[in-house]
Amino acid sequence: MIDLSRVSKAYDEEPVVEDVSLSVEPGEVVAIIGPSGVGKTTLLRMLSLSLEPDAGTVELDGDAVWDADEERRLALRRRVGMVFQEASLFDATVARNVEYGLRVRRGWDDRLRDGLRSVLSSNGTPDAVEEALDVVGLDDKLRQEADSLSGGEAQRVSFARALAYEPEFLLLDEPTSDLDPRNTGLIEEAISEARDRGLGVVVATHDMHQAERIADRVGVLLGDGVTEIGPTETIFEHPTDERTRKFISGELVY
Amino acid sequence: MPLDAVAQFAPAVVEFPFREGYVSSIIYVSLYVSLIAVTLSTLFSVPVALVMGFTDFPGKQFVQSVINTGMGFPSVVVGLLVLFAVSNQGPLGTFDLIFTKEAMIISQFVLATPPITAISLAALTGVNANVRDAAHVLGGTRIDVALVVIKEARYGIATAILAGFGRAISEVGSVLIVGGNITSADGISKTRTLTTAIQLEARQGRYETAMVLGAVLVTLVLTINAVVVRLGSDEVSGR
Repeated sequence: MIDLSRVSKAYDEEPVVEDVSLSVEPGEVVAIIGPSGVGKTTLLRMLSLSLEPDAGTVELDGDAVWDADEERRLALRRRVGMVFQEASLFDATVARNVEYGLRVRRGWDDRLRDGLRSVLSSNGTPDAVEEALDVVGLDDKLRQEADSLSGGEAQRVSFARALAYEPEFLLLDEPTSDLDPRNTGLIEEAISEARDRGLGVVVATHDMHQAERIADRVGVLLGDGVTEIGPTETIFEHPTDERTRKFISGELVY
Repeated sequence: MPLDAVAQFAPAVVEFPFREGYVSSIIYVSLYVSLIAVTLSTLFSVPVALVMGFTDFPGKQFVQSVINTGMGFPSVVVGLLVLFAVSNQGPLGTFDLIFTKEAMIISQFVLATPPITAISLAALTGVNANVRDAAHVLGGTRIDVALVVIKEARYGIATAILAGFGRAISEVGSVLIVGGNITSADGISKTRTLTTAIQLEARQGRYETAMVLGAVLVTLVLTINAVVVRLGSDEVSGR
């Protein structure tokens, strides 16, 4: 379980996330909804264990992440994967991109040997890479250059890249905001597949219908902390917080 | 020297007053000095550019202006400073480097480092921040992230290296001062490069041979540029 407890983060003394508590269990999908600029991305970065909060604690299975030494923290954050909203693929083939997480987890002697071997002959692709691409329906694009993909395909490859090294948690920042319905559907299927494999998934989205479709729990972020978090149905049908109710019904306009 | 192609063919065009082996020896000295200087400079400059690009440290602004000034620094002044450094009274005096290839390598290193650092810095900081973040959240260590950034910036870094090589191999002033433009008694170059040889030929009024050596120098630079560009495109198609 990743547990954020009363975390805050400010950039240039401008508070972005204030006093938010949130936890994610394996095997569940949590959607974070809220208007743009409310700190969803910052929250995900803290969940990814790569951004230190100014205040509050971050724990992974009870291990306080920011009290750990660098080596321990690396081991902890390697149990988490993240997909960004914008394209972030490396200038290489699809296979090399998806393999990246596996590669950095190997020792340097292994990596050097593989590097030499790939100069002499074409390397086989690890099964995990093909499996991850299969989840997003792109196993036929292995040898293609990343920059020749469409936006939707690139986003699906990013998803596969975060899945290939079998993290326990997966964080998705507006994964479908620029995508057509077909690619959106494929990403949503992949999210369900990830949950079925036991991953804890957090999706930041401003699409409330998407949150309703895919999430087990929904957190509503409206500034000043998570306003309300609970089972999807409760949040959408019977929100207890007045601001949540207004946001979901569209009365609260930002 | 069997490789003295120019000495074989050039007499058909102009009278070529050089001994067997002379031209290939000055080509060798030019390449030896420039390639080693540029290789050392690249190994130094790219990490410096990475640190400059992605960390904050006191005096960063100062280092930045040193690099910028260095790009336009007069090479004869660099030659003078290196000459002082390797002379008997200088800090490197004990190594007895005066009028050697090693002294020339030092001065070319000093000349090539500012352009290689500055152009690499521009290339490295131009890499999309999302790509850096992705390398980090996918489990990369600081070194892994740096390697990704270098790989993404590889064309810009290749340009930087070519710019540094161009400055080094076409340089006259400093190599003349620290190297001394020396040949051995049998006419083989010790510290004479293509540029200093051209300067010598022109000063003695042998313009045709100066032109031939100039053509050799230009061909050499173009060939090395073409090889680097070719390696870059091979890597793209070969991956």
